[in-house]
Amino acid sequence: MSVFHTRPALRWLVPTGAALAIVGGGAAVGTFASAAEPSLPERSAAQLLVDLQTAQLDGLSGTVITRADLGLPSLPLPSGAGAARLASLVSGTHTLRVWYAGPDQTRVALLDTLGETDVIRNGSDVWFWDSQANEARHSTLSDSEPGRPAGAAALPSTPQEAADRALAAIDPSTRVSVGRSTSVAGRDAYELVLEPRDEGSLVGQLRFAIDAAEHVPLRFQVIPRGTRQPAFELAFTHVDFDRPDPVQFTFNPPPGTRVIEEPAGPEPRPGKDHPEPTVVGEGWTTVLVGRLPDDNRPGAGGPDDAGTPKPGDGLRGLLDRLPAVSGAWGSGRLLTGTLFSVLVTDDGRVLAGAVTPERLYTVAQQVR
Amino acid sequence: MSAAEPTTRAPGSPGAGAVAAPGAGHGWSGTGRFFRSELRLIFGRRRNQAGMAVLAAFPVIIAIATRIDPPTGGGGEADFFASITGNGFFVALAALSVEIGLFLPVAVAAIAGDSVAGEANLGTLRYLLTVPVSRNRLLAVKYAAIVVFALAVTLLVAVVGLVAGLVLFGGGPVTLLSGNQVGFGEGLLRLLAVCGYLTVGLSALGALGLFVSTLTEQPMGAIIANTILVVASQVLNAIPQLDWLHPYLLTHYWLNFAELLRDPVAFEALRPGLLSAAAYIVIFISAAWARFAGRDVTS
Repeated sequence: MSVFHTRPALRWLVPTGAALAIVGGGAAVGTFASAAEPSLPERSAAQLLVDLQTAQLDGLSGTVITRADLGLPSLPLPSGAGAARLASLVSGTHTLRVWYAGPDQTRVALLDTLGETDVIRNGSDVWFWDSQANEARHSTLSDSEPGRPAGAAALPSTPQEAADRALAAIDPSTRVSVGRSTSVAGRDAYELVLEPRDEGSLVGQLRFAIDAAEHVPLRFQVIPRGTRQPAFELAFTHVDFDRPDPVQFTFNPPPGTRVIEEPAGPEPRPGKDHPEPTVVGEGWTTVLVGRLPDDNRPGAGGPDDAGTPKPGDGLRGLLDRLPAVSGAWGSGRLLTGTLFSVLVTDDGRVLAGAVTPERLYTVAQQVR
Repeated sequence: MSAAEPTTRAPGSPGAGAVAAPGAGHGWSGTGRFFRSELRLIFGRRRNQAGMAVLAAFPVIIAIATRIDPPTGGGGEADFFASITGNGFFVALAALSVEIGLFLPVAVAAIAGDSVAGEANLGTLRYLLTVPVSRNRLLAVKYAAIVVFALAVTLLVAVVGLVAGLVLFGGGPVTLLSGNQVGFGEGLLRLLAVCGYLTVGLSALGALGLFVSTLTEQPMGAIIANTILVVASQVLNAIPQLDWLHPYLLTHYWLNFAELLRDPVAFEALRPGLLSAAAYIVIFISAAWARFAGRDVTS
């Protein structure tokens, strides 16, 4: 204390030191956590693949962060309907909480700042709850249906699902290797790396961090070709392998909620009046070729139209803002992201794929 | 400022009493009396009472407006508002979620800005320091009073909202964000926890405000600076292009109080907010100590 009395200026060392310790300490913890490489017994890629497929998961609960930076121009996405809110996972950072106690007991909650959207499956009952609309949708799955609720978007909501889909894509066009072991959500993990061999693919690597003890994927990253920064990431920040309490899967719509019963069986999808897109090529460089509806009415989407109306000045207005391109194949507009390209030709064809624009031009010349 | 306003310690109040009784500032009883005197000063001022009345008016306005023109239930209402008609409990949450955006932080910023600079401006600071109250103890008492004020105004908004809501809409089991219901008693506990979490956040603002208040002898300057810091933090937090900066902002984690309304509660989701507040408090209280203990008090 006496030093501080005689030299008051020295007092400023205390707040300065505290600030440096807190800011620097926080940064250092982050750096060390990511640099720390746990020493794990060697495991080959093939062994890891078998581990993934044979993992016996009794149950888990945890928090998942998704980060997406697809390099797209920021488009005005419709907000409001719960399904659209789930689809908003394609941009920005989101937090999900997941509970899993077997394939027929799952719950995924997408957290908003002051709200929550839940998809709960318990046996054959599927509930979709949207706290901000104060609305619950109920549907019943028949036994034959493989259980994905109708409202859920076509995006993986757990690293396990992402892994299953990617494993289905493994074929001779993919190089599989084991990366450096890592630490995710405080658990040691192996990293499995899938690399498309085809240079025409925009996907550089798919990386899975696989829990060393439970063989469950903890993190999934998509890294575009030529960068190191993931364009899409799905990772546990907190995970617990105890079987969750069954009460997590029971949902009773609270009084005052609008409850909507959805008819059983596959939903008749709106906006299906145009033909299915054709598929050109296979594996990583698959290109979908579709056709724009003739009347470019506002709200008519591309080949991935899920019936969500798009605001703004219609599709044409949106297209006109994209850069114009032309070549031997004709001319059109090009949308490029870090992971995929979409080409809309002036004669109304739509080509899309996780490929370079050059590949789209080639396909556009072949397929008329 | 009217003469009737108790702008400073009246003769005979414990703070002034310490002048008359040298040595009373030592020990816990002296500090306790100083603390009580400080609280009386904060809660006794007319302008502070007027500010608290404004804070308390909001939940009442929300409740009455919702009663007159109930939400249609088509979605698109602001958060918690849609639930008010079903349960008056949500008036308290709606009021807190609205007021934490501006009114509560501005109130705390004003009190914190005034705490040291106000005394300096009135010329009472040097009298406070001539009595044997150490500068450290003075800062500690000032900060403790700010924290008490933050808790009091948060509870005030919650309690007024609760009463107004129960009178106009009635109570009952509380529907959580996750879509399940808990009893009214557990709802109250969760509301109390929300108030506690918000108080921690506002206390971090109070530490920053106390530091700013030691920098100047102009209370208005300190109050305005504090208010600008709060508003700037909220504005920066709303700009998505600055998301790298957001975790460092004072106000960034405040709305995480909603985590307490999910089932089950993910307490780890509250940790970043509490750690951030603790970091702000440590840095700015030590900065206030460095500044205040080292400066010459001339007025």
